[in-house]
Amino acid sequence: MTASALTRPGERDRLSTKIAELDWRLIGLLAVIACVGAAMLYSIAGGHWQPWAAKHLLRFGALLIAMLTLAMVHPKWWFRAAYPLYGVLLVLVLMIEFTPLGYTAGGARNWLNLGFIRIQPAEFMKIGLVLALARWYHNHTAQEARWSWKLLIPAGMIGLPFLLVAKQPDLGSAMIIGLTGAAVMFMAGLSWRVIAAGAAAAVVAVPPFVMFGMHEYQRNRVLTFLNPEADPSGTGYNIIQSKIALGSGGLLGKGYGLGSQSQLEFLPERHTDFIFSTVAEEFGFIGSFTVLACYVAAILIALRIASLAHSHFGRLAAAGMTAFFALFVLINGAMVMGMAPVVGVPMPLLSYGGSSMMTVMFGFGLVLSTRVHRYAELPKGHGLF
Amino acid sequence: MSSEPAIFFSDPNERQGSFLRRTFVLGGLTAVGGLALTGRLAQLQVVQAQEYTTLASANQFNFRLVPPPRGRILDRGGVVIAGNRPSFRVLVVRDETKDLDQTLDLLGRLLPDTVDRRRSIIRDVNAAPRFSPVPVKSDLTWEEFARVNLYANELPGVMADMHEARFYPFGGAFAHVIGYVAKPNDRDIEAIRERGETVPEILYNPGFRIGRQGVEKAFDTDLRGEAGGTRVEVDARGRVVAEDIGGSRPAVPGKDVILTLDSDVQNRALEVFGEESGGCVVMDIRNGDVLCMVSAPSFDPNLFVSGVPSRIYNALRDYERKPLLDKAIYGTFPPGSTFKMTSALAFLDAGIDPTERVVCTGGYRYGARTFRCWKAGGHGAMDMHNAIKNSCDTYFYHLCNRAGVDRIARVAQDLGFGHVYEIGIAGQSKGIVPSTRWKREYTEATSWDDDPTWYPGETLSVAIGQGALAVNALQLAVMTSRIANGRKAIHPRLVKSVGGVERPSGAAVPDLPFSREHLDIVRAGMAAVANDVTGTAYRASQLGLGDIQMAGKTGTAQSRDYRPGESRGPRNAQWSRRDHALFVAFAPHDAPRYAIALIIQHAPSGGSADAAPRAREIMKTVLLKDPDMRARIERPLPPEPQAPAGADEGEGGAGPGGEVTGAAAAAPPPAAPAPPTATSGPRPYLAEPPR
Repeated sequence: MTASALTRPGERDRLSTKIAELDWRLIGLLAVIACVGAAMLYSIAGGHWQPWAAKHLLRFGALLIAMLTLAMVHPKWWFRAAYPLYGVLLVLVLMIEFTPLGYTAGGARNWLNLGFIRIQPAEFMKIGLVLALARWYHNHTAQEARWSWKLLIPAGMIGLPFLLVAKQPDLGSAMIIGLTGAAVMFMAGLSWRVIAAGAAAAVVAVPPFVMFGMHEYQRNRVLTFLNPEADPSGTGYNIIQSKIALGSGGLLGKGYGLGSQSQLEFLPERHTDFIFSTVAEEFGFIGSFTVLACYVAAILIALRIASLAHSHFGRLAAAGMTAFFALFVLINGAMVMGMAPVVGVPMPLLSYGGSSMMTVMFGFGLVLSTRVHRYAELPKGHGLF
Repeated sequence: MSSEPAIFFSDPNERQGSFLRRTFVLGGLTAVGGLALTGRLAQLQVVQAQEYTTLASANQFNFRLVPPPRGRILDRGGVVIAGNRPSFRVLVVRDETKDLDQTLDLLGRLLPDTVDRRRSIIRDVNAAPRFSPVPVKSDLTWEEFARVNLYANELPGVMADMHEARFYPFGGAFAHVIGYVAKPNDRDIEAIRERGETVPEILYNPGFRIGRQGVEKAFDTDLRGEAGGTRVEVDARGRVVAEDIGGSRPAVPGKDVILTLDSDVQNRALEVFGEESGGCVVMDIRNGDVLCMVSAPSFDPNLFVSGVPSRIYNALRDYERKPLLDKAIYGTFPPGSTFKMTSALAFLDAGIDPTERVVCTGGYRYGARTFRCWKAGGHGAMDMHNAIKNSCDTYFYHLCNRAGVDRIARVAQDLGFGHVYEIGIAGQSKGIVPSTRWKREYTEATSWDDDPTWYPGETLSVAIGQGALAVNALQLAVMTSRIANGRKAIHPRLVKSVGGVERPSGAAVPDLPFSREHLDIVRAGMAAVANDVTGTAYRASQLGLGDIQMAGKTGTAQSRDYRPGESRGPRNAQWSRRDHALFVAFAPHDAPRYAIALIIQHAPSGGSADAAPRAREIMKTVLLKDPDMRARIERPLPPEPQAPAGADEGEGGAGPGGEVTGAAAAAPPPAAPAPPTATSGPRPYLAEPPR
């Protein structure tokens, strides 16, 4: 039984109604993507469930339940949790930087060891930021959102974690945080003139930042992206091998389990960041286009869900999470196709790796919650909770 | 679906309207992004698919050159003197390592001795072409090989494989003749380019070696063979995943080169030299086959195969006795008294009666200078036979100017001096045979001496094998062979066949221009040297092989000018100031078969004490390897049995010759001579004390 504007009061809060309200098309698309990921991981492992495929499916199953559980949570709880969550995550990010609990893995100091658990606060920061921004805009007028001095507050909410994460240095995460925040500001109605000015400022600021503000290896990645053939065995290797994998797949692909680039390990990071290349190599253009279409469809469905929400908080939170997801897909896609520098951004749900999958699934939990509780009205809450 | 009216009468509606419009923009942007990615995918996967398919198969398939097994070098009996043996090695590919330093750190823990050579390894690896494997260690033990393979996963860019390494089982014995192989260097490649040839790709293969010296160099193209190829499927670390049999071409092995040398003789020869420096050549006087060509001291050519450490190379280079120099064909020496057969033949040629006697009083005064005979007290009245037997210098001083230096030079050349022989390997010296013409040309060319005139006084030195005369051991052996042969101007032959194709024999040569009678006189003199109790080498020439006897000639040559009053190099002089000791001989003296020439550079004593006993030992080995000679040795003794002549030589009696004689005497007569099963293995050699 689907809910409508005429559904009796109380009916909407029943669990069966809520479950019926879930968008099964979206869930189906996410499941398809995750299963394709598992299939590719099975293929890369040479036809074995270990070490990746089984774990990938297991994680997805667990996170699917978590997502559906979160979808049942009323947005008022998300709304109340927004600021405290943001605050706590900000403290955790600060702890990495300023306490010995933070530790380095893979060149960036982006892990926090709390003794009983090790976490990457930057991952959850993306959710916390979206919620906090949505709550702030929920409490402010369209005019204020378009252009006012008050916009310094959301700008600061974005800028603080952005700078902290960029300093770790985890440029990929920082970029996602910055762009996700920017997407929320945009959706909230930021003036086009300001957007144009910001874009222009970014274009002007990027070259000097690349030359002077980046670490050696980061600069190399960017320069390599601009001319990968300059050092085909060094920093350009990843991009070149990924393009070879994609191109040699052709229209129909080399066949499942038969991709020479991925099976023979010419393709680096073939189970994580470059898994899309494996799909493209083994299933060709048809396969890679299908997967890409699934992603775009999921994004458009999620945006549609966002547009249906009655509360401004729900709209912005869902749209923010969708933008966050879309950024992952587009940046990773551009990266594996040689259209963007190699930044450590995985293809969500397809790539092996727990952190990104968890963030994305929690995010979709929020989107589905917005869908399930789309009629929910939220008061303007000016307090902390 | 939207159930909200789009009328902006309130702020919430304005927010919603704005949001909806922005949703379309965001959706649009996503769609545009998706389309851009799709377009890029279409470009890569549909338009450029062919191009990338080629690149992928270039990644996946590798055409690997298969080095051909290098041809072996065998001695006359088929014994391998240069072969190939399997060797495990470790290679590093720089561009496949993540971090060369880190890789070498880990490798150093597995193979501790690479730590010391780290600097040179890094240099080699950096100098190599991209993706070309550089061997960092050869000849791993099985344990080391297994250890490297075990850690292969943590060592990207490091691989361990098996290849064939050149191996010289006899070490130094053949070092100068067969040379050695080494890694091709830039100069080799440059030399090939300069000849206008294309450089074979196999030269860049790690572990491929080219000949550097001797037979290895001279017959390099024959020995090398042709490289094959295998099409293999490899993974990103260069490990072979599968082999494509259809796309492979087998390597053509190099041709075998068979030498005329005999490894037993060669080994024995190097052995008897002991610490002394010098050269020895043994020839078959019937066809010119060189059975032995040794230079001592020698070096181990195996050291050069995988690159000789500079410490060892410097030690070899700087050692006073020059192990790297070939003293059999490159080093030249004054022949001393071994030249007296030449002078005697020239005298006979000039019509001097061999019975004419010259009284030796220990010296000969010519002009203002006294030329001394080696025997201070003098020999008394000497005819030619006795002059050769006693090596009387005075006899030759007296008569030489009646023959003239040009006649002596002509005879010397007819006997083989002053000539470079086509034996297949480079590095021979021509030597010097002085004559009036030589002096004229020499002074013109060098202006070393302003006076181009030949003075008769100079002939005196030449007649006894001194002066400007310079010969090498090979020429001495050729001279002895020709005198022993008596008919043919035998040429030496070192390479018997290449790839089964026989090389021309040294017997297909013109006749000698000497009369039989003249040669008989000289040969009788040589026989007396070795067999007359008063001959200069009687004691040292007794073979102890039944009735087989040698005929020979000793020589002790000055290596420098003596001071006035000094007649002989002091016995305890510093090595480089001592005389050279020489001995030439052939055997058996009644039916010659083998000739030997042996030079000891700066010997402690002289020709009869240092050179002759060593030559005898080598000759014994040669004779015992000849089945005909063995049959003769094992024949029942003649009616008047003599005790083996080695009675005064403990060693001669103890040698296998004596034993064989005894055995033959105990069970006479064998119907067919037993094949020489017990060849001369290594035996201790003791130089005889000087008289």
